[in-house]
Amino acid sequence: MADEAERLAAIHTARSRAVIEGIESIDPDFVLHLASSTLGAVLAHFLAGPGARAGRTVFAMPREEEGVAVTCGLELAGRRPVMVFQDNGVGNLLTVLLTLPQAYHVPLYGVVARRGGLGEYNSMIHTVSERVEAILDAAGVRWFQLDARTPVEAWAPEIKRAWTYSRTTHRPVFTLVNLMGG
Amino acid sequence: MTLTRAGVLRRIDAAFPADPVVLTLGGTAREMVAVAGRRPNHLVNLDAMGQTVGVALGLALGLRGTRGGRVVAVEGDGSLLMGLSVLSTAGHLKPDNLVVLLLDNGVYLATGGQPTAAAGADLVAMALACGWAGAREVRTGEELTAALDWAREAAGPLLVRVFVGTEQIRTDYLLADPAILAEDFRRWLRAPTGGPADV
Repeated sequence: MADEAERLAAIHTARSRAVIEGIESIDPDFVLHLASSTLGAVLAHFLAGPGARAGRTVFAMPREEEGVAVTCGLELAGRRPVMVFQDNGVGNLLTVLLTLPQAYHVPLYGVVARRGGLGEYNSMIHTVSERVEAILDAAGVRWFQLDARTPVEAWAPEIKRAWTYSRTTHRPVFTLVNLMGG
Repeated sequence: MTLTRAGVLRRIDAAFPADPVVLTLGGTAREMVAVAGRRPNHLVNLDAMGQTVGVALGLALGLRGTRGGRVVAVEGDGSLLMGLSVLSTAGHLKPDNLVVLLLDNGVYLATGGQPTAAAGADLVAMALACGWAGAREVRTGEELTAALDWAREAAGPLLVRVFVGTEQIRTDYLLADPAILAEDFRRWLRAPTGGPADV
């Protein structure tokens, strides 16, 4: 049991580092985040670690839809924002995502932590998280996924490529990242 | 005499002819187009109810230090209540160039005039409690003149709650392609002078 916990912790650490490297490769000047325990290491980097640098603003959003609106404004102003949040908040942002950046052709990028799969410790969260791919597909929102099927050393460049794809296609793009071992 | 929404919108357009203005959805956007025409410094939020101030907040943060002037959100009471948390976010981040002009008619006018919950809410006190630099109420033309002068000059974020009546002017539907609205707005923002704001 202890070995399994250590294995999952090591996976979480390696994948969190890869996500940090990927976001840093975008060089965002604004990082907007929601509350997330799974993303704790990533958020710590940007809030109090090396990622908390001059010229970068990092702040919490009380709700995902407000994050989309503020990010949309930042994009229109020509800045480089990145949203970081959990997949159980996807339902909160669908209306504003589809009626604002998707409809107005505003690029917008988010890193979305997966919940509800193997290694999940919350007995309820899977009820929304397991359906997130289907929800995004139904909404016509483009997403990519990083999990055990992708070598962790490929994660950072894939994150940068997804961000670039949001610019190329003038629309929101999310990268779903599984930090929990699945 | 009660202020009318269309009359206040005309005054807002005149007060901020070369600043980014984010307009809330429904009759507010349609009436602005009716009284001022299509203006590239106006970004119309066609349907994202509750998020007009959030967009303006992002613009204010993004444009701070790169251009002078203000970023103005023209919001309604029903829409603000749908995204009220933005008061705390803006109060925390304190963009000194953000101005929110809240046109409060007390109802969801576009959907038939159902009352909002704004009547008993002291939205000025809420903004100030959230850390906004200033907030005030407006009920008359003279107060509106003073408030618009103040909003152009004082350090933000600022909120002006303007009480208006429920009269509407007859307008056409606003059927513009949102991608074109956004691109017009971006082009205007990228222009060296940021204006003039004629289409």
